[in-house]
Amino acid sequence: MRWVVLAVAAAQGLTPGASNTTLTAVPGVKVGHYTLTDRPTGCTVVIVEDGATAGVDVRGSAPATAETDLLNPINLVQQVHAISLSGGSAFGLDSRSGVMRYLDERNIGFKAFGNLNVPIVPAASLIDLNVGGSPKIRPTAECGYLAATGASDAPVVEGNVGAGAGATVGKIAGFARAMKGGLGSAALQTPDGLIVAAIVAVNAAGDIIDPATGKIVAGTRTADGKALADARVLLTTGAFQPPRIGENTTLGVVATNATLTKTQAAKVAAMAQDGYARAIFPSHTMGDGDTIFALATGRTTGDADVSRIGALAADVMSQAIVRAVRQATGIPGYPAARDLNK
Amino acid sequence: MKPFGAFVAVMSLVAAALSAQSGASTRASSGLTAVEGLRVGHYTLSERPTGCTVIVVDGDAVGGVSQRGGAPGTRETDLLDPLNMVDKVNAIVLSGGSAFGLEAATGTVRWLEEHGIGWPAGPSRVPIVPAAILFDLGVGGNPRIRPTADCGYKAAEVATAGPVTEGSVGAGAGATVGKIGGAGRSTKAGIGTASIRLASGLVVAALVAVNAVGDIIDPATGKVVAGVRNPDGTFADARVLLRSGASLQPPRAGENTTIGLVATNATLTKALAARMALMADDGYARAISPSHTNGDGDTIFSLATGRWDGTADITLIGALAAEAMADAVVRAGTQATGVAGIPAARDLRK
Repeated sequence: MRWVVLAVAAAQGLTPGASNTTLTAVPGVKVGHYTLTDRPTGCTVVIVEDGATAGVDVRGSAPATAETDLLNPINLVQQVHAISLSGGSAFGLDSRSGVMRYLDERNIGFKAFGNLNVPIVPAASLIDLNVGGSPKIRPTAECGYLAATGASDAPVVEGNVGAGAGATVGKIAGFARAMKGGLGSAALQTPDGLIVAAIVAVNAAGDIIDPATGKIVAGTRTADGKALADARVLLTTGAFQPPRIGENTTLGVVATNATLTKTQAAKVAAMAQDGYARAIFPSHTMGDGDTIFALATGRTTGDADVSRIGALAADVMSQAIVRAVRQATGIPGYPAARDLNK
Repeated sequence: MKPFGAFVAVMSLVAAALSAQSGASTRASSGLTAVEGLRVGHYTLSERPTGCTVIVVDGDAVGGVSQRGGAPGTRETDLLDPLNMVDKVNAIVLSGGSAFGLEAATGTVRWLEEHGIGWPAGPSRVPIVPAAILFDLGVGGNPRIRPTADCGYKAAEVATAGPVTEGSVGAGAGATVGKIGGAGRSTKAGIGTASIRLASGLVVAALVAVNAVGDIIDPATGKVVAGVRNPDGTFADARVLLRSGASLQPPRAGENTTIGLVATNATLTKALAARMALMADDGYARAISPSHTNGDGDTIFSLATGRWDGTADITLIGALAAEAMADAVVRAGTQATGVAGIPAARDLRK
């Protein structure tokens, strides 16, 4: 059980000296955002040019996804070249087309019978159509292309950017009492060189809870809008509106430098959902399309115990979720966590 | 004994229904569009044999999916999981062009939105458009020519409730079968469709774009309809080749995939629609050999419009769906025309 101790120690923070505490701490992983100016929405692309073994876990009940069947471990293709996350509901899946174009222009992809290039780009979208302007403004293929063009291995920019630009949280008493969500990222590095990192666009129906304290960071506000109401209390007192499609969904990616099989990558994605469970309440509702992709770059060949990596993935995902709302900034109608703390 | 008795009773019901189908019922000539409320449109690219086929649902339909091939390219299939919330589908897109071809769905979504069709989500309507692609990049020209959003838009625009055009059109334009004998021995296939109408008013229909690794077999005769060719223009029979121990071409990603849908006018829950899709996969098993390989992304969607006010057991509907699908697969072989130097079955019979 040595890895438990390591995981707990690692969860307290990065190894001293590490400067990048985001997804791009995993070598070979690049992240790019593109944020639309006409309405708060956008897309975020995670690129692995050399390919990464991948898995997915869809556990929310209102998903919008593409190429997730391909990630079933019984299916043939083993590696992906990018993950495309976007706002814009099912319309936003179009941003994936732009990522495909970007990768194809660079001949990055699965080589079908040796010479035909087919980029493998699973995608998921969250639903932000009713936030801050015309719902007709949505990420398109152009968004995905521009996000890919801007991708780099620099520390990930967090807050109201990319797929998190129009994200909100705390909607179980209606939109008037919701708060701003956003995009967060976190990374853990253990002394033996294992890196596990997460990126997440948090647009949950539920509240965001810091598992380290049990306290709500952002969520449904009280009727006067000035304090947090606590979804856990509202659920038991009857002041609860069922989550609706068209409002929610939390999308994430966990990545590691370990070597995993496709089946193990699926397991890591599944365990990372525990990070949602701990940091979002309620989570995985009928109105959330909660989805997590897992990427394993295989750049280290050491101990790849899947339970250890999965546990770290859940931890780092929780951290990324908390960061998503702490780094968010308020927009009209949706104050951010930092605004309430004033 | 009780469960077994119930099983026998259900199977007797199916047998009675199937015999009724071959006797009193007739087959509508219009294939998938025999299911009222469904419209089918193809768009075929002129630069290379590829394209897309869009099935537009007037009103909407409960949807399901069965994804059993090993190299799929799909969109919005997670949404069809019966655990998940949205239980209505506005259109299904089938496309050539490999993973690139999923973009065709973008155009269909646009067309539906322009017509105010979609799942109500706050201020918007979000068109629900599951999609699947097949791999035809290696057929007849530049692999960079692929169906785009424009294809999905135009196919939706021309969708009609009239008889469905079959053969080398739409998503089946670049489809081929019989690839276990390696390059140069395949046969052209395409789009096929079939429908079954019972005296009760129940309609079950199928549409498919057949681009299988395997041969197309007519389950009624056991004979190869289209598949691996011999130099003399006869069929080698993939089943014989597999048993012979001959050095065969393992199925490769980038060449294959059979995609289709089955539809009924019955009312089904989302879970039963998934069961219908699953049973329809038996139609692939019967009419394609080998089927569901690691190099096929075989996928079947199901739609239940609920426009018929009668009731029918899911076992009957699923069994008929497998029948209609097998019929449609055979027609995909018999109705195709040769393209890009790849002959169709009808060319070989001359």
